[in-house]
Parts: sequence; structure tokens; C-alpha cells
Amino acid sequence: MSVLLSVEQLTKRFDEELAVDNIGFEIGEGRCVALLGPNGAGKTTTIRMLTGLLQPTSGTIQFSGMKQGQDRREWIGYLPQTPAFYGWMTGREFLVYAGRLCGLSAKEAASRSNELLERVGIASAGKRKIGGYSGGMKQRLGLAQALIHRPRLLVLDEPVSALDPIGRREVMAMIGELKNETTVLFSTHVLHDAEELCDDILIMRRGQLSLAGSLATLREENREPVLSLEIEEDDHSRQWLAGWINKLPNGILATSETRGSVRLIAQDLETARRAVLKELTKSEVSLSKLEIGHSTLEDLFLKVVTAP
Amino acid sequence: MDVLSNTKVISLIAPLFLIQLLLIVIALIVLFKAERTRGPKWLWVIIILFGNLLGSIAFFLFGRRSV
Amino acid sequence: MTKWLILFRKEWLEMIRSYKIVWLPISFIVLGASQPIATYFMPDILSSAGNMPEGAIISLPTPKPFEVLASSLQQFGVIGLLLIALSNMSALSLERSSGTAAMILVKPVSFVSFVTAKWAAILSLSMVSFLFGYSAAWYYTIALFDSVRWLEVLLSAMLFALWLGFVGTLALMFSSLIRSAAAAAFSALATAALLSIVSSTLPFKQVWNPGRLPTLAAGSLDTAQHINNSSLSVWLTAIVTAVAIAIALVIATGSMRSRPSDV
Repeated sequence: MSVLLSVEQLTKRFDEELAVDNIGFEIGEGRCVALLGPNGAGKTTTIRMLTGLLQPTSGTIQFSGMKQGQDRREWIGYLPQTPAFYGWMTGREFLVYAGRLCGLSAKEAASRSNELLERVGIASAGKRKIGGYSGGMKQRLGLAQALIHRPRLLVLDEPVSALDPIGRREVMAMIGELKNETTVLFSTHVLHDAEELCDDILIMRRGQLSLAGSLATLREENREPVLSLEIEEDDHSRQWLAGWINKLPNGILATSETRGSVRLIAQDLETARRAVLKELTKSEVSLSKLEIGHSTLEDLFLKVVTAP
Repeated sequence: MDVLSNTKVISLIAPLFLIQLLLIVIALIVLFKAERTRGPKWLWVIIILFGNLLGSIAFFLFGRRSV
Repeated sequence: MTKWLILFRKEWLEMIRSYKIVWLPISFIVLGASQPIATYFMPDILSSAGNMPEGAIISLPTPKPFEVLASSLQQFGVIGLLLIALSNMSALSLERSSGTAAMILVKPVSFVSFVTAKWAAILSLSMVSFLFGYSAAWYYTIALFDSVRWLEVLLSAMLFALWLGFVGTLALMFSSLIRSAAAAAFSALATAALLSIVSSTLPFKQVWNPGRLPTLAAGSLDTAQHINNSSLSVWLTAIVTAVAIAIALVIATGSMRSRPSDV
């Protein structure tokens, strides 16, 4: 795998707040990478520094194979979280305008615009003013304008979070197609979206990069035994559960809890199993289900983002 | 200064009135076509018709809301 | 250069679609024409206004043609300036707050081109509007009063156009620095007013002050005044103004570069 983009010691400080704290990662050519993290983790700030919208406080962003002094923006196609357009332009006019600003000839920009309007499924609206477009249509037009100059790296900031379930499905499918053609980096706070599309994930939390690697490796390396526990909904059992998870024995960590159920990650399965069973009998809790399995990515994600 | 005849004066001033009228007509057309305006449309009609040059200018400057 | 032209063309297209290309020139034409006409009818207006004792004879001195043109310039100096400041008060701040600047500036486009293409479009329309308006004023002055020599009219037009261009550039600059459109317009107008008041009230000659331009423009219409303004000092003021415009553009570009979007 050859490296397309490498980021080193990237930092952004806003007044007092450290929004991005010394992060470094590499994006391989042709990979689909998800930048994952809860809201406010620094994902958008990182993306805005990559696209040149924000000057980093320190650190370097380097494309491999780019000539000295070449404009990084030539290689990047960017779709912001809420793409904005000139309402008085038609969709097609905006695409041609974007294409020409990326250095395409008039002819090329025109043919590429038609092709992309078709591809993102708004060909029939191409001659209408963008002012009358719906949110989903704007998202599609945003994707088209990001692709207009065949960028080496496609950067998408929360591409589906503002869409309804159907729009979300369709845009996800489009990204799924695009990742076969170019390198894609997209940010999301939904693990499921990342798992569905990506080869690699970068997890950010409080401005720092908590975890990075390929999906497959992370799954493998972080396979931990998990005890999934469900209890009956009587008062006694629920009170016990609420109290117990606050004083879990060493080596056991609760990742997610809902009313009447909890998932526990164990360092050592045997010790944990014994401890849980002992506790259950001692407290006379009405157990409805106890399952032993392995941690999923969701457990890992929750563990990483909720760790103290 | 030569004293100008009335007809001469009128023919001189007529183009000025026409061009003002043109501006008012354009302002009204834009107003009726606009999807969103700042404030009710009927109020803008009054401002454009009775506000003369300044009324039309005010509409073009402030009356429209960009979509 | 191609990209600059594409940006410039987009600005013109926007001015066409928003009808600015229609209303700004018409406003200037009406503004310029109404001054000679109002002056011509002033005696009639006064006499029909009543309040005059029976048989009173109103005798107003007939103004000289160049004075009529100079008073048109005064109109442009107030209402024309207001139009230019108001119509450009959100030129850059709106691109930034709506997010369109972020869409365009992630493309390989230079910040200088982005700002100067907008500036050139704004100024070219303002200049054309002013020239139409001033021509109308000139035409009516000749028709209703007497002729004014074209060379003097041309000189005054150039000096005044430079002043309008300066204020238009100020509006553009403030629109990059201040989020509020009203505050940007106010800042541009206040700066212009301050410079022009300073130029006429302080007791010493201020070659460096662009605020002198409207007075110079009006003065250049009057053949008798020519001696007072050596052409060297006029040139110096023009050059200082051009440099100030360039500095304002550098500031606007720097502001866009450091903060291309609000969000």
C-alpha cells in the first residue's frame, strides 16, 4: 500500500481551547477511511485543516508525489457538512463554474457536469435554480461538485448525518461506488456507517487520535471476552444492577447499559465469569440472560470514547 | 439663458420620467416574482409606487431575501 | 488569469440576475438629471409654494452652468456614495456567512483572485453607473442652461470616479472585516465623511487625503479655480488614493485567507 497523504503533529488551538492536539496519521492510496468520533471531537477542525480552510497552529500535511509548491487543493474534492451554493445559479451552472475553477476547459467542464448530474441522480433538475433544491438534492449536488476535477482524495464531512433514512441509504451507496475509484476520507459520528464502507478507521476524542488502523486489524486485535447480562424488570433486580455497575470488580468494564441489561468487557473471562455468577447468586437477582461472547467494534468504540 | 418653450421643456423631461417609470415597473415585476421578501409584499408595493426613486432603490437593496 | 475571468464573469452574472445592473445605473441617471432640472424650475417652485406677498418678484441669480454640474456632484457625493456603500456592504461577509466562500476557496483558486474579481466587478458597475449619471447631468445642464467644456467635465468625472471607487473599495474591505452588513456600510461611509470633513476644515493643505477628491472634482469644473490647484498636487492625491485602494484590497484578501468561513 502506498501512502497518499501523511499528517504529522497536526495541532489547532483556538484561543484557550485545544481543538486538535498533535495528531498524526497516514491515508493509503485507494483506501476508504472513516474519521470517527463523538460530536466535538475535532473531526471537522481536522478536515478543515486538510482542505486548507483553516491554518494549522502547527504540524504538516503532505501529499506524496506532489510537486514542490503545488497547491494541495488541486488534489482534494471536498463536501462540507452543509454544502452552500449560489441560489441564483442552476445546478449545472454551479458544476461548470466549479469545474472551470479547478482548471478544466469549458468543454471538459460541460461534459463532466452532465455526467455527474446523471450520476448523482439530479439530471432532471440540472437546469433549475439551486434556490429551489431540497436538502437531499443539495447534498447530491455537493457530492458532484466535489468530484468535478477527479480528485485524488475525496473528503466528506458528515455526508449523511443531515439526510432522511432513504437519502442516507442512497448517498451511502454512492460513496460505496466512489471508493472503488478514488481515495475517500469521511467523517461520521455513527460507527455503523464507518463499518459499512471503510477499510480504515481513525477514532478521535477530545482533539486527540485515540485509535487508528484497518478495520480488520482492529477487530482482531481488540477481540475481548464480553459478558452480556440481562435481568428481569423487577425493582430489586434493577436496583441491584444500578448499584453494582458503579462498583464493578477489577478487570471488568461496562460498555453499554440500558434498562435491565449491560455489556461487560472482561480482561480474563474465567475470573469475570466466576465473579459475576457469585454476585448474582449472592444478591438473589432474577437473571433472564447471560451470554458469553466477543467484543464488537461498537464495544471498542464505546470503550475508547468513554474512557476517562 | 434662453427661455425655453413649454413643449421643449416637456420633451426634455419626458425621458427622465420614463426611466423612473421603467425602474418602478421592473421593481414591481421582481417583487411579484420573488418567493421570499423581507416584510409583506403589499407594503413593498406601496413603498415602490409612492416612494418614487428611493422606494424602488430601497426594495432592490433590502426587500429581497436570498434563498 | 483564466480563473480570474471566470470569477469576474460570475460576479457580473450575479449582478445581472439580481437586477443590480439595471437599478444602479438608473438611480444614478435619475440622480444626475434631477439636479439641473430642479435648479431650472426653482423659481417656479418657489413662487407656486405660496407664502409670497402679492406681486412679490422672485429674482434668483441664474447659476453658472459649471455650478449646476458641481451641485450634481454633490448629489452623487451623498446619495451616490450611500448607494455604493449599501449595495456592497455584504459583498464578502455574505459569501463567508452563507458558506459559499468555503465551497469556492477549497478549490485551487487564489484568494487574491477571489477578492479582486469581486472588487473589479463592483467597481466597474459603479463607474459605469456614475458615468451614465454624470452624462445625464451634463446633458441637462447644456439643454437647460449653457454648455460646459468637455475637457473640464472629463477631468472632474475622473477625479470623482476615483473617490467613488475608493469608497466602494472601503465598503468591500469592511465587509470582509465586519460580520454585520449595516456596520460595514456605516464604517465605510463614516471613514469617507471623516476624510472629507478633515480635508475641508483643517487649515493646511492635505495632498495625502483622498477626502479632497470631491472638492478637487468640483473645483476642476471652474476655470477660474484652475490656478489654485497645481496639477502636481492633484496627481499626488490621486496616487495616494490608488495606494490606499491597493492596501484595502490587501487587507480584504488577508482577512479572507485567515478566515474563509464563519462556521
